[in-house]
Amino acid sequence: MEQGEYVVQMKGISKVYPNGIAANKSVDFSVKRGEIHALIGENGAGKSTLMKILFGLEQPTEGAIIVNDEKVHLASPTDAIARGIGMVHQHFMLVPSLTVAENIVLGITPKKSGMFIDYKKAVELTQEYAQRFNLHVEPDARVIDINVGMKQKVEILKALVRGARVLILDEPTAVLTTQETVELFHELKNLKEQGFTIIFISHKLKEIKELTDRITIMRGGKSVGVYDTASITEQEISRKMVGRDVILTVEKDEAKPTEVVLSVRDLQYVNEWGKRVLDGVSFDVRSGEIVGIAGVEGNGQRELVDILFGLKLPEEGTATVGGENLIGRPQAAIRSLGVSYVPEDRMAFGIASSGSIEENVISDRYHHRRFNKGPFFKMKTLHEESDKLIFDYAVHCKSRKQEVGMLSGGNIQKVVVSREFSSDPILIIADQPTRGIDVGATEMIRKKLVELSREGAAVLLVSADLNEVMELSDSLIVLNSGKVVACLDDGNWDDIMMGEYMLGLKRQSDEEIGRSCHA
Amino acid sequence: MRNRRMVLFGIFRGAAAIFLALAVGAIFIFLSSKEPWKALQYLLIGPFITTGGSGIAFNTQNFYQILAAMIPTIFTGLAVCVMFAANEFNLAGEGCVLVGGFVGGLIGVYLNMNSGFHAVIAVLVAAIVTGLIMLIPSLLKVKLGASEMVTSLMLNFVMLYVVLHFLNFNFADRTKGATMTKAFQETAKIPPLVPGNSKLSWGFVVALVAVVIVSFFMYRTRWGYSIRMIGINKSFSLYSGMKVGSMIVLSQVIGGVLSGMGGSIEVLGRYNNYLWRDLPGYGWVGITVAILAKNNPLGVPFAAFFLAYLNKGCSLMSTHSDVPSEMIDIIQAAIFLFFAAEQFLAGTRQKLVIKTTHEELEQLEKARLAEGGSNNA
Repeated sequence: MEQGEYVVQMKGISKVYPNGIAANKSVDFSVKRGEIHALIGENGAGKSTLMKILFGLEQPTEGAIIVNDEKVHLASPTDAIARGIGMVHQHFMLVPSLTVAENIVLGITPKKSGMFIDYKKAVELTQEYAQRFNLHVEPDARVIDINVGMKQKVEILKALVRGARVLILDEPTAVLTTQETVELFHELKNLKEQGFTIIFISHKLKEIKELTDRITIMRGGKSVGVYDTASITEQEISRKMVGRDVILTVEKDEAKPTEVVLSVRDLQYVNEWGKRVLDGVSFDVRSGEIVGIAGVEGNGQRELVDILFGLKLPEEGTATVGGENLIGRPQAAIRSLGVSYVPEDRMAFGIASSGSIEENVISDRYHHRRFNKGPFFKMKTLHEESDKLIFDYAVHCKSRKQEVGMLSGGNIQKVVVSREFSSDPILIIADQPTRGIDVGATEMIRKKLVELSREGAAVLLVSADLNEVMELSDSLIVLNSGKVVACLDDGNWDDIMMGEYMLGLKRQSDEEIGRSCHA
Repeated sequence: MRNRRMVLFGIFRGAAAIFLALAVGAIFIFLSSKEPWKALQYLLIGPFITTGGSGIAFNTQNFYQILAAMIPTIFTGLAVCVMFAANEFNLAGEGCVLVGGFVGGLIGVYLNMNSGFHAVIAVLVAAIVTGLIMLIPSLLKVKLGASEMVTSLMLNFVMLYVVLHFLNFNFADRTKGATMTKAFQETAKIPPLVPGNSKLSWGFVVALVAVVIVSFFMYRTRWGYSIRMIGINKSFSLYSGMKVGSMIVLSQVIGGVLSGMGGSIEVLGRYNNYLWRDLPGYGWVGITVAILAKNNPLGVPFAAFFLAYLNKGCSLMSTHSDVPSEMIDIIQAAIFLFFAAEQFLAGTRQKLVIKTTHEELEQLEKARLAEGGSNNA
């Protein structure tokens, strides 16, 4: 049944979103049967849009899609699945309270006498596929209890059970540790040997060099070239991606930390499903240093940050800033202590997307005396403030009146950061400050973080990007299952060692961990 | 470029919605009437133009009547604008108009004041009472998480029957044939703005002042700003350190104050006694007004004018032809439908967006080429 060389061809694909963003501009993209094909580009380059079109989630404005030498119209993911195209999303689409087997057969559930779910059959099916593709999962485990690597296998199995021959993986390694990544690559190569085609979206050059056969590089919504992976160097890929050489190391002087600003002692938190997510976490952040928190996602970082910014209440424990208690205070009070916060989910917390840039950069300071005269705003002062922030943080926009939601991801984050960094904070909590944004904005935000810390701010950096925490932090705390398992303060760390701590394979002695507290 | 084109498109879309709604109305007129042309003439041009023995003339009295009818709906439209801006679907404006009218009326009857402040006091007290009433749904929302839509909707009937109770058993003038209070004192009545029977009172001027004040409040003060931000994204506002709960309450209290003012000004400007025994409907019209005005206070008078004009046209049509005045409900519903439908003309909008984007890209490309050229030179 297999015919031509190409399993998927997309020709002249253009996509203009209703908000006027042209995400794809006449892109050609073809994948050969049985290859691992990398799709690489900065965020906002149009990779995700292109793949959403291929998976039927978005409709192209122009262009044609050819699957197995047949021109197709993919109106929905159902159409795409029927054509043998499966997608594993960056954010998993699983039902946490169901078991692995139930998730895998969701929507195609085997039935007993036409009515009842045949759970035994679901388990058998799961095991059969798990064995055939060497993707080992526990069919009876509930998804809430399994780790990220396992969840990803479940997602891949889900696609395979539905008959996918072409798998799209959207930044699959973003949430994995080094060891889990190695395992994933092994499994993907195995799938390739069995004749499957894999489209692999990533920013990580090393992984692409290691895993893939061919590369399509995208920039600014266009395809800038297709290459055999073997014939192109990482530097060349990087240059084609961003149009210039980017050095992603941040220069920083040695930290000279002074007094303790943030002090966290023995935090305990149990989540709504009764799982102990934080189990006696203690550490300090001093003025003038960046403390990084590393850990596989879901090991307590989220809850820790939420507690520090007043979004959750811990069972036990204390947290103080400059000696003042933080726990149980409203956000306004926390901010007035000099705490600022770059939230992980910038669309949900960081911005009011249909508001203007101006309305977004003043949201933490609009009530200050210098912006108000009696009941009225001093419009001129507000305009000056927003123009200054737009200039200082190089937000690309037409004017301060432009709607924030219309900006690119990197520019939106610049808007958030310009607000959070400019309020003379004594403590900055930066939660995934550069996730999913372009290289230029990333570089700028990292530089500013270092600059602010050297000027005396205490910085708590939480990031799933291991390179980022390792690069920026003056000292590192590793969280595993809600506990601090390592405190590294000598700048001597590498990803192998970090991976071992993050996965809980190794743990420092209590004495060594105790170094995270200074007072 | 994009902005201007999109604004023009917005205007075009609004006009198209109105035109289509009138067309829908016309279809029903043609279906039900024996004299459709005459009916249409009264509906569309009747409110402005009189054709009589002396030829064609602009009808000033009709025009004043339209302006007079705008007074309560400007207030309720503003009230809904403020509440909807905070993303609070409070529907108790209707009941607040009634209570405002009742309270204002009682003060007009029973308080003895010689100065010209009598009407002012009556309106202010009415506004304070209805503002306080709005604490009920808003505090239930903020403290207990009860949907303000449900509680405010129910509250309308509580207000109606409480007012009826006191009207029937305490304040009814037994000498009158119908249930109404005693006559307002002359000092409490809001004086007419123009001579004649149009009922166009100084309340109209107050309403226009309220438009200016509310739009300043929404766009030039810290409270209006935080109300709007909360309406766009509550989590963001909370995270930014805004007092979200207080602002949600404030927006609804302001809604109550404005509705109560509208009710009392209407009662004291139009009637001699308080005589409403049912919900007057201005609260509901206020929702239509706010939607037509896209929640922008400055658009409210125009929307209120348009609806008052239609209303007048319909009543003329029902007097002079065989079409019943209920026709206005059909036309209003159709306008509502076309305006509220996000997808109305979405295809055209998308084409415009694509065209604009292409142009912008071309310009960018040109700019880049020009830059490159000058660099080389």
